[in-house]
Amino acid sequence: MGLSLGEKNFIKGGIAQDIRTDGRKRLTYRPVSVETGVIPQASGSARVKMGATDVIASVKAELGKPNASHPDKGRVSIYVDCSPTAEPTFEGRGGEELSIELSTALQRCLLGGKSGAGAGIDLSSLSIVEGKVCWDIYIDGLVVSSDGNLLDALGAAIKAALSNTAIPKVEVAANASSDEQPEVDVSDEEFLQFDTTGIPVIITLTKVGRHYIVDATAEEESQMSSAVSISVNRQGRICGLTKRGGAGLDPSIILDMISVAKHVSEQLIDKLDSEIAAAEACDEEL
Amino acid sequence: MEYVSPEGLRLDGRRPTEMRQLRAEVGVVAKADGSASFEMGNTKVIAAVYGPREVQNKGQQMDDQALVRCEYSMANFSTGDRMRKPKGDRRSTEISLVIRQTMEACILTHLMPRSQIDIFVQVLQADGGTRSACINAATLALADAGIPMRDLVTSCSAGYLNNIPLLDLNYVEDSAGGPDVTVGILPKLDKVTLLQMDAKLPIDIFENVMQLAIEGCKAVANYIREILLENTKKLEFCRGV
Repeated sequence: MGLSLGEKNFIKGGIAQDIRTDGRKRLTYRPVSVETGVIPQASGSARVKMGATDVIASVKAELGKPNASHPDKGRVSIYVDCSPTAEPTFEGRGGEELSIELSTALQRCLLGGKSGAGAGIDLSSLSIVEGKVCWDIYIDGLVVSSDGNLLDALGAAIKAALSNTAIPKVEVAANASSDEQPEVDVSDEEFLQFDTTGIPVIITLTKVGRHYIVDATAEEESQMSSAVSISVNRQGRICGLTKRGGAGLDPSIILDMISVAKHVSEQLIDKLDSEIAAAEACDEEL
Repeated sequence: MEYVSPEGLRLDGRRPTEMRQLRAEVGVVAKADGSASFEMGNTKVIAAVYGPREVQNKGQQMDDQALVRCEYSMANFSTGDRMRKPKGDRRSTEISLVIRQTMEACILTHLMPRSQIDIFVQVLQADGGTRSACINAATLALADAGIPMRDLVTSCSAGYLNNIPLLDLNYVEDSAGGPDVTVGILPKLDKVTLLQMDAKLPIDIFENVMQLAIEGCKAVANYIREILLENTKKLEFCRGV
């Protein structure tokens, strides 16, 4: 990002004095707006705007076969795509690196370990017939406009999209033979809602100078020394953590950041939940 | 299959010469120099324009005119079945090329030598007529970016099924295998800048179908003009003039 020395100093000085270039405090988010049901073809979708950052998440559910090592669990995969509309450098394969970085960070923050233990989404609720049929959930994120803090926005969009998701109810035909693929009947009318209370939010704390801030804009991100993304659920438990950026952090600072993230997450979850509820109400009226 | 019922209604309840509902918005991508979203029924696209700016790849720089580039991409969730590998396939490359050529024809490139204009279109939902929707969105985005143009290019498609010319095909009608004529026009200059057709059609019928598509383009042009006027009034209001 082309910033002059003066601009850089202004951003850093502002953060040191707890008043940022757009007038926010260090731990204040930009206004968040949530819109659900933006992609009617998907099982669930949402669009989240945080300032000039604009992302869309869609959820698609398909029937699949569970992994042999975890026969009682469904599968969830997360892919993120960075549209060149957000930044010309994403043209062609230019956005691939960032896309992969965001996808893996989201997987780490939302899906837990390889076994699916500790995942924000309860994978065993996706199983239909153990070892035979399960739901494959594909979560696709798209970055339409980027002004920093993409990970938090994507996390919020995925949370909103999942609460918007309706998964068809499935009837399993009761033919008992164990080695045959069971016949399943997917209902067109009855849908099940996802339980989204356990899905965490992602808080990224960006360290600029000696202080750290939440919801950094692209200008502020260009001045960062390192950033820690922490996903926290409603109970205040940490579900995942990633650190980005070159500079090293003192372990005590990381612990301090985690407690700050936990504190901030309460406000963000409340704000998101009320926004999602408002968006859902608005969606149902239409 | 019957695409037009005996009462003269299409599968989605439209009359043969009726267009889907249009919706457009200017300035949807804050960071871009110009941007717009354009919806034709369930087809929804976003276009963003960056430039005129310095040429990124010096080898492509032209001393007498601006370089216009375009990239068309489809979101993974834009189609009914999830796509896995959307980037850089033949179809998107072809559509990028078509959009680039159509837009280049109306941009006054000679006014901006040694510079580059990037047009990025992103399909959020595909339900037939993405080509047209992308061109319409790109026109709006270029106008929003304040890039000098000869005219507003607009585009619309028309087809011919069950012996009836149909305006603005949706996905089901498009995949019926009948002819699909996509036309792009410069409405004020009354010139055709884009014309594509697949499948065969007798010449006299082709004339009617093309005429129908041109009427569609003109309707789109009126709508785009309205949106731009509204946007300009809003900008004027913001400046307090």
